[in-house]
Amino acid sequence: MGHTDDIESLADEEVMHLVQEGNPRAFELLYERHGGPGFSLAYRMVGDRVVAEDISQEAFLSIWRSRHRYQPDRGSVRTWVLGIVHHRAIDALRRNLVHDRRRSSAEGIEERHEAPERERTDVVAARREDAQHVRSALGDLPHEQCRVIELAYFGGFSHSQIAEMLDMPIGTVKGRMRLGLEKLRKGLKEKVA
Amino acid sequence: MSVERHQMHEEDVGAYLLRALSDVEQRRFEAHLEGCVVCQDEVSRLRPAVHALPRSVHPMAPPRSLKAGLMAEVERDVREREEAAGVSRRSSPFARMRRRLGGVGSAFGGLRPTVAWVSASVVLLVGVVSGAAGLYALNDVTSGESTRSVVAKVDKTRVPFGSGSLAVRDGPQEGAVLQVHGMPELEDDSVYQLWVRRDGEVISQSLFHVGVDGDGAAAVTEDLQDVDEVMVTRESAGGAKAPSEKPVLSVKL
Ligand SMILES: [Zn+2]
Repeated sequence: MGHTDDIESLADEEVMHLVQEGNPRAFELLYERHGGPGFSLAYRMVGDRVVAEDISQEAFLSIWRSRHRYQPDRGSVRTWVLGIVHHRAIDALRRNLVHDRRRSSAEGIEERHEAPERERTDVVAARREDAQHVRSALGDLPHEQCRVIELAYFGGFSHSQIAEMLDMPIGTVKGRMRLGLEKLRKGLKEKVA
Repeated sequence: MSVERHQMHEEDVGAYLLRALSDVEQRRFEAHLEGCVVCQDEVSRLRPAVHALPRSVHPMAPPRSLKAGLMAEVERDVREREEAAGVSRRSSPFARMRRRLGGVGSAFGGLRPTVAWVSASVVLLVGVVSGAAGLYALNDVTSGESTRSVVAKVDKTRVPFGSGSLAVRDGPQEGAVLQVHGMPELEDDSVYQLWVRRDGEVISQSLFHVGVDGDGAAAVTEDLQDVDEVMVTRESAGGAKAPSEKPVLSVKL
């Protein structure tokens, strides 16, 4: 869209500033930048394109309507957007909208290859590389730590559900979550360095 | 914070960040978190690991219908807002200026620039905003040359959903405009007042209201040089000679 030409070069935070002023073109640009990752995250969690689309639409509408809640000092735009998508997807999972899928997400990480993104190839390439980097850091975690983290974050299960599922005490689940995040944090740092 | 309390909660950090606590536990943990520096540190230390998780996901193209549906809703919101408000108090002097000048303003397709300018409540406030906004005419946020934005500190106990930022133009013709969001609308007999503090002296700048949506804007009229802080208080209509309360929102410069 021609209107967005002059704002396309802006950084996310500046685009967000225009979104906060109620500029729909800036919001469109925000969606173009983060809609793909948002949808991908929702799909990873619910495993269903239609449900993932609903979740993404709800999430982005709520981003538009609560745009003033974004505070630049509290993190990047990308993180804020994905946090809202994640929240919505967890709500959907807990409302059991995707009942059948819960089992499949409990079965662990499945690689779901889908249509490529309609985006500049260098952006896609950088994103793939970044995804690889995080996956490899996750892969370095002890299996039982990786598993509780994935069940919670991507599966939307609570610690007590996970404890029941894996037949272990809640304290152990919580401990593994914490240890796993600790180790992941270090792993990501090392890989950058 | 008591040590026992902390011990009760220290194992919850990971589950909290992964949103795996029950609602009750989450509320309890958040209440504890407010007063526990150890847990606060732990949360901010581990948070980047959680933020990295969505990046591990395989990128997929969203269906086109998603964007179409979303933008239709957004455009409808914008139309309704314009109809309801005439034209916004929400838009900042920057935005209005941009609209007048074209450029990024052209992105505001449906708005009528003249009406936007004339009816803007902020302009009527002190009569200074038009002058101050003039400073920004050739150099606004979007040009990014010498305008920076400073995030305001908000007293969350008195204005829980408030936020704000000060757009500062540096250089020989410096000036600043404060934009606020999520501020409570005040009764008719009250007004928000903008102040600057320089060398310990507090000087009134302007009065402003916020709309039902909690948005508002006000200009700093004072030369910004040596200004230490820009502050907002709530005062009786007509404004006060000196602040009658601690600032609800402030920007340190
Ligand atoms: Zn603690």
